[in-house]
Amino acid sequence: MWFKNKIYKSILLLFSFFALVSCNSNESKPIKLNSDSCDFCKMTIANGKFGAELITQKGRYYKFDDVACMIQFDKTSEVPSKVFFVNDYFKENELVAAEKSFFLKGGTINSPMRGNFAAFSSDKEQKEFQTKLNAEPMTWQQVYDSYK
Amino acid sequence: MKKLICILFSLLFSISNAKTIQVGSNLSVKKIKKALQLAVDGDTIVVNSGVYKEGNIIINKKIIFLGKGFPILDGQRKFEVVSINADNVVIKGFKIINSGYASLDDPCGIKVYDRTFVKIENNILDNNFFGIYLQNSRNCLIKNNKITAYGKQEQLIGNGIHCWKSDNLQIIANKISGHRDGIYFEFVTQSIIWRNISNKNIRYGLHFMFSNDDAYITNVFKNNGAGVAVMFTKNVKMYNNYFEENWGDAAYGLLLKEIADSYIFNNKFARNTSGIYMEGTSRIKVEKNVFESNGWGMKIQASCMENEIVNNNYRKNTFDISTNGSLVLNTFNSNYWDKYEGYDLDKNGVGDVPYHPLSLFAVLTEKTPSAMLLYRSFMITLLDKSEKVLPSITPDNFIDKTPLMKSLPL
Repeated sequence: MWFKNKIYKSILLLFSFFALVSCNSNESKPIKLNSDSCDFCKMTIANGKFGAELITQKGRYYKFDDVACMIQFDKTSEVPSKVFFVNDYFKENELVAAEKSFFLKGGTINSPMRGNFAAFSSDKEQKEFQTKLNAEPMTWQQVYDSYK
Repeated sequence: MKKLICILFSLLFSISNAKTIQVGSNLSVKKIKKALQLAVDGDTIVVNSGVYKEGNIIINKKIIFLGKGFPILDGQRKFEVVSINADNVVIKGFKIINSGYASLDDPCGIKVYDRTFVKIENNILDNNFFGIYLQNSRNCLIKNNKITAYGKQEQLIGNGIHCWKSDNLQIIANKISGHRDGIYFEFVTQSIIWRNISNKNIRYGLHFMFSNDDAYITNVFKNNGAGVAVMFTKNVKMYNNYFEENWGDAAYGLLLKEIADSYIFNNKFARNTSGIYMEGTSRIKVEKNVFESNGWGMKIQASCMENEIVNNNYRKNTFDISTNGSLVLNTFNSNYWDKYEGYDLDKNGVGDVPYHPLSLFAVLTEKTPSAMLLYRSFMITLLDKSEKVLPSITPDNFIDKTPLMKSLPL
């Protein structure tokens, strides 16, 4: 009897562990280029420099081909978002937290849906590309507020 | 009269003044760049067959640039191969391979910078990042080129023919495969795409963004990642095209988003996951098309209005129509539906009872996609039949009042 109890307990423990892990993820899921499609504009995501992703408070993931799509999706969605991720412009299809990123807008930046935002993980890179791309620096808050 | 002769003479003189420069490994001019230095406006450069690895070839004079026996211009994966920086340039008969790759400035096989009346004909482009790129150009012709790349999933690759902020273009009889989008139009107006074959591209066979007043006629779009997308545009004419075998979760024969005042006539949609997917489209006429063997013939989202769907054939589709809302602002008239089970007592070729193209199950799967598991089960068939008699879940004004008894000869 005692060992049966032990098995039950361990199974219970294991399951609760799984439940904990699956509920509490704030990690980004990688975007599969040319396979995933944007949840706002329906286009297939093909450029790993401008993609974006969000997790809703219910834990669902949505992927986008442009930061502009993500913000517009968020503003029209009924479920509030928890975390935002954006592709690092300097790398190939790597997602970084939006609020920790440094943004550039306009200039010669050409994003798939004409949001024309590029995100960088450090302000050094942002400064470097600011002159190169002839773009205007922005914070995540400014980017987010530029859509109603 | 004298004046005319004078003009003619001067014309003749100016023509005979233009010279031809031959380039080849066993000729006096061995390098293309050298020939370009020697040339003046109006000259012809003939490049004989061979392999030329000269980095970025910049054409900045109004010349005719001909290849004899498809000379190979190799970009060695580092350079943009040919840059055209002059009006009225003709480039014909080259094999252009291995442009630079995946760098931020989008290297191309052939790129035209802000020019008019450029002709790009009969070239073979192989393994370039972007194939042909027209930027800010007008009145250009891209004809008979074969553009091939080897893009894979999870990899960055450019478009076959990429046109940006251009006007009055003619894209005729090109074959494109393996690029991201076969043909990409952004801010391009008054242009025509005719008789192209766009196969096996990673994303779309043809992709329109913000491009008004264009037409694409008699093209074949087959086996592309997600079909053809026409987005954020108005006044586009789509005639006689084939949309075939675009399979996948987010793949459509034709994806229409935010488009207005267009005309879809005499196309064939065969073996796609969805023939047409419409979202936010208005005032479009869909006439005399064939929808055959698709998963969904048409998916019309509730955001579409005032579209007219007339005289089409729907055959062998799993679902003819599906929608996500209950609002119906589109009209269906005189289509042929192979699922129609009505009768025609007065023998006028038109069914006597209206047809409900929207099946209950199509509505159910739209709300809960996993319900697809139950497709063709007894209960679902029963429900579908009862729904046809007494519509409760499907919108009851979603009907074709004059369904045809016989398919149209299309």
